[in-house]
Amino acid sequence: MIRIQHEPFDIGALYKGLSEGSHNTGAVVSFVGRVRDFNESPEVTALSLEHYPGMTERALENVVERAQGRWEINDAIIVHRIGYMTPGDDIVAVLVSTAHRHAAFEACAFIMDFLKTSAPFWKKEHTQSGAYWVSERESDLASLKRWEQQ
Amino acid sequence: MTLTHLNERGEASMVDVSDKQSSHREAVASGRIVMQPETLKLLADGSMPKGDVLTTARIAGIQAAKRTHELIPLCHALMLSKVTVDFELDTAAHCVRVSAFCRLGGRTGVEMEALTAVSVACLTLYDMCKAVDRGMEIMDVRLEHKSGGQSGVWERKASPETVSSDTVAPVADTTDLSDKSNESPIEIRFFAELRERLGIEKLSVLPGHLSSPTLRGLKEWVKSQVDAPQALDQPRLLCAVNHDMVQGDITINPGDEVAFFPPVTGG
Repeated sequence: MIRIQHEPFDIGALYKGLSEGSHNTGAVVSFVGRVRDFNESPEVTALSLEHYPGMTERALENVVERAQGRWEINDAIIVHRIGYMTPGDDIVAVLVSTAHRHAAFEACAFIMDFLKTSAPFWKKEHTQSGAYWVSERESDLASLKRWEQQ
Repeated sequence: MTLTHLNERGEASMVDVSDKQSSHREAVASGRIVMQPETLKLLADGSMPKGDVLTTARIAGIQAAKRTHELIPLCHALMLSKVTVDFELDTAAHCVRVSAFCRLGGRTGVEMEALTAVSVACLTLYDMCKAVDRGMEIMDVRLEHKSGGQSGVWERKASPETVSSDTVAPVADTTDLSDKSNESPIEIRFFAELRERLGIEKLSVLPGHLSSPTLRGLKEWVKSQVDAPQALDQPRLLCAVNHDMVQGDITINPGDEVAFFPPVTGG
């Protein structure tokens, strides 16, 4: 399931939806990304998140498909928020269920790594002294490398 | 060697805290360092004896831009609001292409800063790789674009050799250009910082109005329509056609939706 929404999400409800009634699932790994009060500047007061409707969903579906090609995944959920958020708010949730834990850990990390570099979302950070668009990170691009080598 | 924490805290990519008025001064400079194909391969594989070459060269370029006034006698000290240094590994021409973008809201231009950033980034690349290749050549360090200030916008005129060899992909057969009058328009969208810099969200054009039915032709047309065409020359600008990311030049068909945007930063 892929969802782009303004509203906060309930990670407990997402977990329940993923795992309930599934008897072949031995492992669920979930990741939640949150708004930090420091990033490119030391005092981030808020974040606004923009996306490209239509393309975002397609890009996320592609990421999940690629993960399914590498690991035996029972189910996967991506929920990504857009709009205005403040430090401590949740931004994104990724949950993956599999039979065994290693696949779930890896697939969850894989999905996040590709989400960060291929899904059309953009963050703008707000501070006391003004707002700016967040730059891409070399470390995010470098994170993709480990999946190529395998 | 890892400089990840510098990135994390924003040292590698300076924060732009200025408001985005058109009076801002900006400059883009470029250059390249030509090396043996084997050297480029070592660099691409991260196997250089001195470690992470590109990250180090990027930091060097940014630092150099900030210290330009200490190097060039009559240059003012500037409060730069943004400096980016980007690299493109060109395997066909076995070189690393370097480009630097500088911006500020001050009273003097930033082309010296951009040129200094490119020069020092190239020197750092040389230093990091010289153990395996002393014959590398630093070439074509030059200003590509500047805007703001009394002299207004200056743009380097495109010449055939300025075209990067790997961005020109073969274009499909485009001989059938007859009767384009009643074809559906191409929809063009802009996102995030690019949308703000251009001041527009969407454009629409009939295929017949393009100089060629390609991404390159479309970009040319967009640049002729906007107040800040240089915003479309950002080295890391991304492009999607019909919701799929594309690279290089491709054929654009009637009814296509083409989007231009900066690197993505979700998650």
